[in-house]
Amino acid sequence: MQFDPNHNELPLTHEILTDRSIAIKMVGVGGAGSNAIDRLKMDNLARLQLAVINTDLQALSSSPVQDKVLIGGQVTRGLGTGGDPELGREAAEADREKIAAVVKGCDLVFLLAGLGGGTGGGAAPIVADVATEQGALVIAYVTMPFSFEGGRRLKQAEESLLALRRTCDAVIPLANDVLLQECSDTTGVLAAFAQADAWIGRGVKSIWSMLFRTGLINLDFATLQQVFQSRGGKTLFSLGRGEGPQAVAQAIESIKVCPLLHTTEFSRKADRLLVNIIGGTDLTLPMVNELMTAITEQYGRDSHVIMGAVIDEGMQQQLEVCVIGTTDVGNRNQTPRRPLAAARSVTLAPARTAGEKPAGATAAPSATPDPAPADRTEQNEFSFAEVESRGYFDKTDRNLFEGQDLDVPTYLRKGVKIGV
Amino acid sequence: MISKTRLIGAVEIGTSKVTVLVGELMRGRTLNIVGLGSCPSRGVIKGGVVDYKEASACTHAAFRAAEDGAGSPVDAVYLAQTGAHLEGFYHEASVNVNAADNCVGALDIDTACRLAMAKELPAGRAVVHHIRRPFRLDGRLVPDPEHLVGQRLEVGYWTVHGSEAKIGDHIHVITGFNLRVDELILSSLASGTMVTTPEERQNGVLVLDLGCGTTDFVLYHDGVAYQTGVVPVGGDHFTNDLSLGLRLTRPQAEKLKLRYGSAMLRSRDKHEKVWLNGDYSVGDRQFSRQAIEQITAARARELFEVVRAKLDAAFVPEQTPVGVILTGGAAKMPGMDEAAGKVFGVPGRLGEPASWVADELRDPGFSTPLGLLYFGLNSQAERRPAARRSNGILQSLKRILVAS
Repeated sequence: MQFDPNHNELPLTHEILTDRSIAIKMVGVGGAGSNAIDRLKMDNLARLQLAVINTDLQALSSSPVQDKVLIGGQVTRGLGTGGDPELGREAAEADREKIAAVVKGCDLVFLLAGLGGGTGGGAAPIVADVATEQGALVIAYVTMPFSFEGGRRLKQAEESLLALRRTCDAVIPLANDVLLQECSDTTGVLAAFAQADAWIGRGVKSIWSMLFRTGLINLDFATLQQVFQSRGGKTLFSLGRGEGPQAVAQAIESIKVCPLLHTTEFSRKADRLLVNIIGGTDLTLPMVNELMTAITEQYGRDSHVIMGAVIDEGMQQQLEVCVIGTTDVGNRNQTPRRPLAAARSVTLAPARTAGEKPAGATAAPSATPDPAPADRTEQNEFSFAEVESRGYFDKTDRNLFEGQDLDVPTYLRKGVKIGV
Repeated sequence: MISKTRLIGAVEIGTSKVTVLVGELMRGRTLNIVGLGSCPSRGVIKGGVVDYKEASACTHAAFRAAEDGAGSPVDAVYLAQTGAHLEGFYHEASVNVNAADNCVGALDIDTACRLAMAKELPAGRAVVHHIRRPFRLDGRLVPDPEHLVGQRLEVGYWTVHGSEAKIGDHIHVITGFNLRVDELILSSLASGTMVTTPEERQNGVLVLDLGCGTTDFVLYHDGVAYQTGVVPVGGDHFTNDLSLGLRLTRPQAEKLKLRYGSAMLRSRDKHEKVWLNGDYSVGDRQFSRQAIEQITAARARELFEVVRAKLDAAFVPEQTPVGVILTGGAAKMPGMDEAAGKVFGVPGRLGEPASWVADELRDPGFSTPLGLLYFGLNSQAERRPAARRSNGILQSLKRILVAS
């Protein structure tokens, strides 16, 4: 789908030239996803459309969101999946057309789901698949269950996460357990879940503002696409915030402790790094320099770094930083860059149409064959608590050389990806 | 007094094994290896003694085996020295030639050497070696300046020093067996002399002794050891990386390392799996061969890079035409020579012991103890008065340790 400017017959309609806005939709899948959407509805971000997809009719009817879709009416009769991801998957497969209608024409789809359950875990990968088919860039924010919810749920969640990684451009997991650590004894359950949603909201908002606020150093949708040009790998995502005279140091510190940054200390190295800085008019170049140096040093490994800076007058003495990094796993083929939905709608050659794929097909996207098998990504996904590993040398003196402890495995320090 | 025939023991308290070789030194010229004792090492990590009792028990067991083979107790011990605590620096001095006819005399040489070695060490450090680099007489390299004519004589020493306490730990293990440590010899120098020929050392060669706990390196140039060093990373680290990366116990990881470890990425097929045990037993697991190679190759590459960084400006590929010679137990990992060659940009190969070495001692793991004997033999044969190596400070240290 090449956009050829010299091609006279190309209908350069009024629509293409004026409607440069990007269609973004936030889709909540399952109970947790819908709840998150409901809470985020209050924020009222311009040009952000909301939708919820669920198998549970009752939950769906109580949602304040306009765009509601019930899936798997034939499969579950609108009663939910009872925590069975297989049922959730079936329900989504049965209603691919309905899902396609929701994500049609979107350039960017934020998928919100709670993994571990039936609808969120089972249907979300299908929704992502359909959205990709429709040509959208899919970024999923998912919550991982609390460990007190039991090993089975965690296992289901991990399986769903893997499925999502294969169908989404980026998956940003948020471990609820991490929130538990942050909670005080008096924190209510509602508040805790609200906190999880708030983090997701911040994540969505950061990307949203990156796209819609014109910055000093602008980042656009194409940049975002470029960063997510290959899929299946882990996504590094972190938000930082700082205030006052120590804003830079504070921001760097808070980037490190962001609960959305869900990888072990040493594998936090990305091939492509996108950094967006939002600050007030008092944002100075030395500040940007200091931030970028610290961030690339920590997360980049000879990486391709893209930087953006946005000035927001309401952010005097404040800083907000969003770091997105993607890492290639092995030698995955790269999906071709997709043009904007607006442009696509007027060009011919509909390479991928919604009805092309028969219902009940497998979750693997047929249009973008991804030879990376599931097991390539099954690397230490959840070793969050693992701060540093010296194994056998644990009790010996540190083996420092140029600031690195040589006793820690090389592949961890260098961020070499090991496919187990 | 040097008797006609002396039995000397070469002891290497390594991280994987303690090796004792007994050599019969006849009239200070010929050497016969008459005893060998080897015992798996315990209480030693990264080349340093961490558990004195365990370490001495192993050493004593190895000693007994070696002396049984030799048939009589040894007279003195040459002890190999390694560990992260060893450091080195270069210090040089120059003198103006005294004589009116500008002919270098013994006194000039002596003064220059004394000045070059006079650099003081920090507290708690003891000299292991003073390694002299070639003399320079008015800027030209000369092996021995005596009776040559020139204005200015320069000489520099690469001084290797280590922590008194850590060296003391090593010596105590031997003195606990009621033996005298005759000389402390740097492991890298011992194995370096073993796997290189004088011509190679003249032309320029880098020797890496990849042990279990440490990697000792020595860069030869103009026939002398130019620079030495120790990186406390060895075979154990490969095992540890595998055990952490693949969630294995150490013995399992060790087994995988020996069987499938490689310093280069050989397996192109990422689906190629290998079994942990391969005996169809319950609990046997499969691992991707590529994953194993990725882990070991990353470590090998980094190890060589660290060595190169430590050598810094001293290593110039053009001045090291012979290349990198690898020895030590970890050098047996496939692809090591190739990986080393790649990092250093010169040909890499495995060291071959001299032809006189018996078959059972040809393993690269024996190059250090063999080198100790060889080094001892040579140092006895050519004990030059003009300070080939002065062990004055060392002797005083030994005296302190023996007295304590």
